[in-house]
Amino acid sequence: MMYRSAAVFGFNEYSRQIAYQVRNIYQDFALFVISEEEKKAAIQAGFLVEMFDLSEDWHGIEQKFDVKNLIVFCALPNDAENVFLTISLRATFDKLNIVALAQDNESAIKMKSAGANKVLPSLQLAANVISDMLEKPVVTKVLHDVLFEDSSLNVVEIEVTRHSSFVGKRLHEIHFKSQYDVILLAIVDHEMGTTFSFASKGHNHHIDAGDVLVVIGYQDKLNTLIDAVRRRHV
Amino acid sequence: MVGRWIVAFAFFLHSYPLYRHAKNFAYNLLENAHSSYKKYFDYGMIALIFLSVYILIRQVKHEMSVEWLFFNNYIISLIFLVEYLMRLWVHSDNSQVVIDQYENDLFLHRPFSPSQAFKTIFKQKLEFVVSPPAVIDLLAIMPFFHELRMLRIFILFRVLKLFRYANSLRRLISILASKKFELLTLALFALIMIMVSSVLIYVMEANNPDSPINTLFEALYWSVVTIFTVGYGDMVPVTPEGRTVAMIIIISGIAVISFATSIIVSAFTEKLDEIKEEKMIDDVSKLGRFYLVCGYGALTNEVVHRLRKESKQIVVLEADGKKAKEAQDDGMYVLNFDSASLHTYSTIRIHFERQVIAVILLQDSDVANIYTALTIRELDKKVPLHSILHKPENRKKLSMAGIHEMVNPHELVGFMSKMISNQPVAFEVIHALRSERGGTVIEEMVLDSAMSKRFFELLLHPLFHQRLSMLGIYQRASETFAFNPQPSFEIQSGDIAIIVANRSLVEEFRNLLHRKTMK
Repeated sequence: MMYRSAAVFGFNEYSRQIAYQVRNIYQDFALFVISEEEKKAAIQAGFLVEMFDLSEDWHGIEQKFDVKNLIVFCALPNDAENVFLTISLRATFDKLNIVALAQDNESAIKMKSAGANKVLPSLQLAANVISDMLEKPVVTKVLHDVLFEDSSLNVVEIEVTRHSSFVGKRLHEIHFKSQYDVILLAIVDHEMGTTFSFASKGHNHHIDAGDVLVVIGYQDKLNTLIDAVRRRHV
Repeated sequence: MVGRWIVAFAFFLHSYPLYRHAKNFAYNLLENAHSSYKKYFDYGMIALIFLSVYILIRQVKHEMSVEWLFFNNYIISLIFLVEYLMRLWVHSDNSQVVIDQYENDLFLHRPFSPSQAFKTIFKQKLEFVVSPPAVIDLLAIMPFFHELRMLRIFILFRVLKLFRYANSLRRLISILASKKFELLTLALFALIMIMVSSVLIYVMEANNPDSPINTLFEALYWSVVTIFTVGYGDMVPVTPEGRTVAMIIIISGIAVISFATSIIVSAFTEKLDEIKEEKMIDDVSKLGRFYLVCGYGALTNEVVHRLRKESKQIVVLEADGKKAKEAQDDGMYVLNFDSASLHTYSTIRIHFERQVIAVILLQDSDVANIYTALTIRELDKKVPLHSILHKPENRKKLSMAGIHEMVNPHELVGFMSKMISNQPVAFEVIHALRSERGGTVIEEMVLDSAMSKRFFELLLHPLFHQRLSMLGIYQRASETFAFNPQPSFEIQSGDIAIIVANRSLVEEFRNLLHRKTMK
């Protein structure tokens, strides 16, 4: 599900990079800062900013955004403050999608219990990439190109629509590799909730409407597949 | 005229490769603790020493054959003599001394003075001759010159030569040497006490017919036996005066022993860190291939944790003692040295080409990492360098310092946020693959050109079909990635396939691929 608006809290190296990467993805984007210094730095970097403080009540956000369609990134530099921010937001908004940044695993666990939907432990992520770079250099390079660079090879999620010709088929009946020249990585079973299972588990899954296919391939081939999935069942 | 010949000869020797080579070999054999063949030389010498002692003991009650005695007196002694002369030879460089003197005189517009040069040479050689180990060496050769029974005791000096060949014994000496002043003071105190008490006891007891102590030597013997708290009791003072002396010397004897113990123990505790460090350096130099990590912190801890899972060896260099201690408590190989100093690498004796898989720079600032990178580049041009990048604007500078790959955590978080925004499920999938949660992994498999046919056949094998996805093949030669290649694809040796599947299935695939190809 795509969100329409995004808000980033805090302004530092992390939030600056988040803001750069995501501001064009969403229709509405806002940057909230906690201090005058942050405000100055953010304005200098070319962002429109709003001030907030941790004791504030958050109903201002409700007026500004449609909370159901909002994703927030909590990226305060101090983990304790970040946990507090996360828990304050969660206390006010039940359904808000919160992505929180944590320095390490320990804080990550606290963010999770504070109600963050997704936690990015920056230290672990960096460590993972470094060790992958050393142990699996080719995998790292290829994945990096696929995920982050504008290469023609991409990974996409395709939701199976209600009237799709794929509905009712079994996974093995669709020849992703030979017919579409793409590779199916995983599938989210609509009935099983939001967790995905890897295609390589070998389950001959029954495709339902609402399932999500995670597919990797060249953009043109992916477009062909997307068209095929969306094509109405005749 | 003579002077000119001497200089010419010195220059000849100095540049004569065979001579240089021989001298270098002798030095490595005798003095260079890190050369590979010194160890065997040392073992050989130790064996000779034990043999020598065995013959000495055997001789006491048994008749030894002439050959054995000849071997002991002449052959072993000759070997030791040769060793002694070689040590004398490598101790200093005579031709260098002559050349230095010549150049010095030339510079000062003076005629070359051979006598000055000889004086320096003599001084340097004398330095060796009077050093305690050299004196022991010389004494150990003594049986060669005399066959007097008394001189056989000199064979025991050969035992003292063991100090030369055993590292740990040398270390013991150096530890005790650090407390030289204290030990000397104590020895002086003990000596004075022994002197005073033996004279006193002699004066008090020698004229008493009941007393067993009659000579000055007996008095000295009694004093030594008493002060070191042995007290055989074969001689005891009988006069009240003598017994008073005995009481005093017994008390001071306890003081001597306890002081000596505490001095030695404190010497060891003070040197404990040093000993540990030397041990660590030794351990590291014996390791096979490992990753060298510069800088210890939370990030290092995480990286090390991950690499250890792949059962890789890791050595951490950290200049800060406190952090190094922390790392050590985490059970890593830690060397408390500054990674940016050339001196460090000569001390810790890491062989980059043979031992280091890659260097990972994880210090707190780009400045420090660049500095370290340049230091390492000075020593080795090829070793892969990976680094954390703290500020994206420094990317170019790091790459100029010879760093191949860098990771900027801020950018990484930015990219991930983008992906969470665009494709949250795909993000989860990739994340799970990388963290190897749930048993499914993404692996690299190095291929061989001979495997081509087999590789694509196996992919269709019922065991792997639908359960093992081959994403593509990375071509080494062209550095391109061929996504989802067709069976007609030609594999070159060194190409790498990327495979997604359950871990055990990947292993099975790898095994089958190799087995079938072998056939």
